[in-house]
Amino acid sequence: MVASTLPVEYIRALLPEIGLLVLAGLVLGLDLFSSEVSRQRWLGWVVAAGSLGIAGLSLAFAYPVASPRLLWGGALRLDEVGFVFRMLFLAGVGLTALFAMQVKDLAGKGEFFALLLFSALGFSLMASAADMVMLFLAIETASIPLYVLAGFYLRDIRSAEAGLKYVLFGAVASATLLYGLSLLYGMGGTTRLYDLEAALRQAQAPLEMVAVALFLVLVGFGFKVAAVPFHFWAPDVYEGAPTPVTGYLSTASKAAGFAVLLRFLIGVFAEQTAFWTLLIGILATASMLVGNYLALVQSNAKRLLAYSSIAQAGYILIGVAAGTPLGATGAVYYLIAYLVTNLAAFGILTVVEQVLGSSDLKALEGLQQRSAPLALAMLAALLSLGGIPPFAGFIAKLLVFGSAVEAGQIWLAFVGVFNSIIALYYYLVVLRTIYRFTPGVEPISEIKPAWRLALGICVVGIVLIGVWIAPWYSWAGSVARVLWVY
Amino acid sequence: MGHEMLNAWLYIGLFTLVAAALPAIAIFLAGLLSPRKPNPIKDATYECGVETVGPAWTQLRVQYYLFALAFLIFDVESVLLFPWAVAYQQLPLFAIVEAIIFLAILVGGLFYAWRKGALNWQ
Amino acid sequence: MPLMYYLGLSAFMFTIGILGVLLRRNPLVVFMALELMFNAANLAFVAFAAFHKVLDGEIFVFFVITTAAAEVAIGLALIIAIFRTKHSVDIDQMSELKG
Repeated sequence: MVASTLPVEYIRALLPEIGLLVLAGLVLGLDLFSSEVSRQRWLGWVVAAGSLGIAGLSLAFAYPVASPRLLWGGALRLDEVGFVFRMLFLAGVGLTALFAMQVKDLAGKGEFFALLLFSALGFSLMASAADMVMLFLAIETASIPLYVLAGFYLRDIRSAEAGLKYVLFGAVASATLLYGLSLLYGMGGTTRLYDLEAALRQAQAPLEMVAVALFLVLVGFGFKVAAVPFHFWAPDVYEGAPTPVTGYLSTASKAAGFAVLLRFLIGVFAEQTAFWTLLIGILATASMLVGNYLALVQSNAKRLLAYSSIAQAGYILIGVAAGTPLGATGAVYYLIAYLVTNLAAFGILTVVEQVLGSSDLKALEGLQQRSAPLALAMLAALLSLGGIPPFAGFIAKLLVFGSAVEAGQIWLAFVGVFNSIIALYYYLVVLRTIYRFTPGVEPISEIKPAWRLALGICVVGIVLIGVWIAPWYSWAGSVARVLWVY
Repeated sequence: MGHEMLNAWLYIGLFTLVAAALPAIAIFLAGLLSPRKPNPIKDATYECGVETVGPAWTQLRVQYYLFALAFLIFDVESVLLFPWAVAYQQLPLFAIVEAIIFLAILVGGLFYAWRKGALNWQ
Repeated sequence: MPLMYYLGLSAFMFTIGILGVLLRRNPLVVFMALELMFNAANLAFVAFAAFHKVLDGEIFVFFVITTAAAEVAIGLALIIAIFRTKHSVDIDQMSELKG
């Protein structure tokens, strides 16, 4: 039961969420009471500026100073995990809004931006949830708007199909997760994540039942991060969804999945570490192999990036599989780097799709002649995805592979390096399409200011995260440290 | 499992058997005893005494489904008010305020749907 | 009644649900199978709540019911949208996205 007077601490713990809710309400209000023309011009800027403002407010007031605290009746934990991931989601939502506001069919749609904000609200709560009920509700709050966003172009059969597939797979995953949670609740007798570990130990829960529960829960989280073998939805949904949504799905949604995965595995299944590190290692290997192998044969750029993002989930899982603070640091650093990188890649695809009306690899031919800055941004994004210095992806890969070696899982590091080389091949093939001289292409006359700003931020981010490591590393490190504080 | 419990299960089992047997016997006897003289008028579909028009599998207008969806959401949300109503007598003021906020959000949703024209019958 | 009965029924429901999702081709039936999966978990929660004599599990069930309804509502809305353009909702025919 919540006390009837609210201490400041309670509000602080929810500051970004309250901000997102207010912003979403504002957007819905604007949607009802302003003209189509002014909405098309301003709505995206309102969302981007709003999320920047919320991020600023959280930095100023919501930075967790003391040791982790459970608030709101144990539903939320005010700690660095929640904080860093919230910053990530706010960045994701702001950049996505900038990309979406120049897309013809999305710009004036208030509900589009409101749904985007609601899903970010869900992600934030996922990252700080410390109770099963809160966790499940947060996952649903994040997923349900995403289902609608994926099927947002209702008249476009491909988008509607993508939405329906996402709902079907998503609902199966959350039902499975829920069943796993019910088993854990049954064995431990509590819904609090941080009491569960001790409760399981005290009740001497049978090992096989814990393993079944762990497996069921992993299905749910594996779906969210699109790891093989729970990846079937990803290519179809990524291809059918509006391109800015795809960028958002592949970055923010994945990050949220990893936030809960890390918290759950380390907090609840501490006793079974040896078991889940092996399981996650297998998932990582499968994700990298399947993702990279299938990416090689794609002819659609969105699909190619979809398979590439499955493979990227595999690299991040290497960090999780290490089961050490260094591994968690690497995973979080990877997620930060991956956010700006993949948003840049999908942002460029958004631009190309708007101008040329296609997202095939063919549409990228001669991009260098169409617009040199755009081609340069794609170069940075793809090389960062491939793990080439001085871009962000290099440090991220270095950290996760290093953590695997440190944890004694040299085979995993080896598989990772091997896969990075395969992946580099198809990234370079795309780059060759972009930079090869193609006769008869016309330059793109104008790249909209919002796009320029968003792409600029992404590219600066890619370089900055790859060169100036200290601040990001210390953020990721603080997340990893606090994960092991019960 | 105690002896008494076994007894209770036995009753349920017997009850199920009897419940299944009674209508089966009735239908069987009716089929055995009743005279059978079919003609086209007798075999026609009975629909409130009026002659039927068209096949039974017609397509409903899509508006029905949209209303049904809106109804479904608001209907199911009321589940959350149920425990609140049961414990109403012993609740602190804060819980009342919470319920009012919850209802305000629902009303906001209804208002949004109305302004967007989702409730218009086109 | 022993806890095991409820858990057995719940596991049985969950299995039927999974099989329904995997084998049926009509999305409406798939959604029914999904409800079965959600309700299997709900049954387990209620049974465990009664067993442990803590109410958390029963509260959880209220939330699950509402979110499951929201999820299904979205699914049905998308089915209507697809039916309007394609006049069919067979899952096997949803092949616009492939490669």
